[in-house]
Amino acid sequence: MRWFWIDRFEQFVRGTRAVAVKAVAMSEEQFDDYSPGYPVMPASLVIEGMAQTAGLLIGEMSGFEHRVVLAKIGKAVFQFPARPGDMLRYTATILDVKTDGAMASITSHIGDRLQGEVEMMFAFLDDRFPPGPLFDPVDFAEMVLAFGMYDVGVTPDGQPIELPPFYAQAQRDAEQGYPPTPSPVIASGR
Amino acid sequence: MAVTKDEVFNKVRTALVDALGVDEEEVTPQATMVGDLGAESIDFLDIVFKLEKAFGIEIPRKELSPEDILTNADYVQDGKVTPAGLAELKRRMSFVDFSKFESDPQVRNFSNLLTVGDLCRYVESKVGA
Amino acid sequence: MRFCLLDRITELEPGVKIRAVKRLRPDEDYLEDHFPRFPVMPGVLMLEAMYQASAWLVRQSEGFAHSVVILKEARNIKYADFITPGQELVVTAEILKQDAATTTLKAQATIEDRVAVNGRLVLERFNLADRRPTRAGTDPYLRNELRQVLSRLLPAAPK
Repeated sequence: MRWFWIDRFEQFVRGTRAVAVKAVAMSEEQFDDYSPGYPVMPASLVIEGMAQTAGLLIGEMSGFEHRVVLAKIGKAVFQFPARPGDMLRYTATILDVKTDGAMASITSHIGDRLQGEVEMMFAFLDDRFPPGPLFDPVDFAEMVLAFGMYDVGVTPDGQPIELPPFYAQAQRDAEQGYPPTPSPVIASGR
Repeated sequence: MAVTKDEVFNKVRTALVDALGVDEEEVTPQATMVGDLGAESIDFLDIVFKLEKAFGIEIPRKELSPEDILTNADYVQDGKVTPAGLAELKRRMSFVDFSKFESDPQVRNFSNLLTVGDLCRYVESKVGA
Repeated sequence: MRFCLLDRITELEPGVKIRAVKRLRPDEDYLEDHFPRFPVMPGVLMLEAMYQASAWLVRQSEGFAHSVVILKEARNIKYADFITPGQELVVTAEILKQDAATTTLKAQATIEDRVAVNGRLVLERFNLADRRPTRAGTDPYLRNELRQVLSRLLPAAPK
């Protein structure tokens, strides 16, 4: 089971709002025996898709220097279950960003119907945790590119955004077979 | 229009009930945020956001979480806050009653100091209630 | 049965509470993505484990009266600790209240007596017959499948 719970960004406005879609498919591993005969997309995995949408939106604000992890689900309410064949559309709005964490509100829609709404809090890992990024920079760059972040990503006034210099450089270095450049992870206190 | 102390208490109580999942009855002025209401650091982020929204104020982190004082070698010795450190704390957080803390100013006891009443007094100072 | 997140149920008091365990195995494949350099159990899977334990408690308590038991709400789910491969999670849930359609529970997961996550869940219970009359025949099928899964998790479960 891979851990990607969104498929593609449809909208990505830096520091503001992002919309991502997730196709629910009968062949996915969470349905192997889950509610046999009446497969229901687990609410927990809908929440993860919402967290990935919001988490990447928040992470992008710092050029992905902060290590953003889910710290608290304040409130999650679902109106009806999502099922194979549904296309979930997650709309994440940033509510607040502080030095050690952020808060976001995310809705989940299927067509025009509101399927769920969640308010969640993210923490920026400090250096009590293993130092360095959670992902290899080149793999991470390819992942966000694959999600289409930079196909639709813009600043609030409509200018296209680009891969942060550190990641763009890591991609270029990898192409040329150079070793990865040092991590930009911010030490605690900043 | 001036905000009354009662209104401050009611809105603070609502924010704490939402953020911490506690019952209204548990939120008394004497209740400690950490010990009685079970607040953890991630909850403070949530509470600060809700209070900022409810009262239209800004709550800089240092005003409620004086980690910089508690980790400063000038203000802490052998795990205890020095008189200079205590003076700094009182200056920064005039809404807190430090008398009990003063009798045994262990840094590790600090987190359990803040009460609901302290939070209300802090908000009152920001909204002029 | 890979999305069954519980290894076994150690206690089940119908109408009251449940206790189950889950060991995070180093070879669980989602760990490769979460995270490549810091494998830890995703927070939402800790939530899923609490939901699954709650659902088994609800089903057994009502004698599988409803074939579908899903998570409707989650409140104040707070993550205190990461769970690393090899650690065993103890998942518990207690029923707080119940009405005709929903059950509210308090749930938590601990590692060696430290609370890793806790919060409140609301589960919704229904039969397909109520919502999709053409699928009424699936209710007994689901009930039977789920009873079998429960008997694997809790061999002593009264049938």
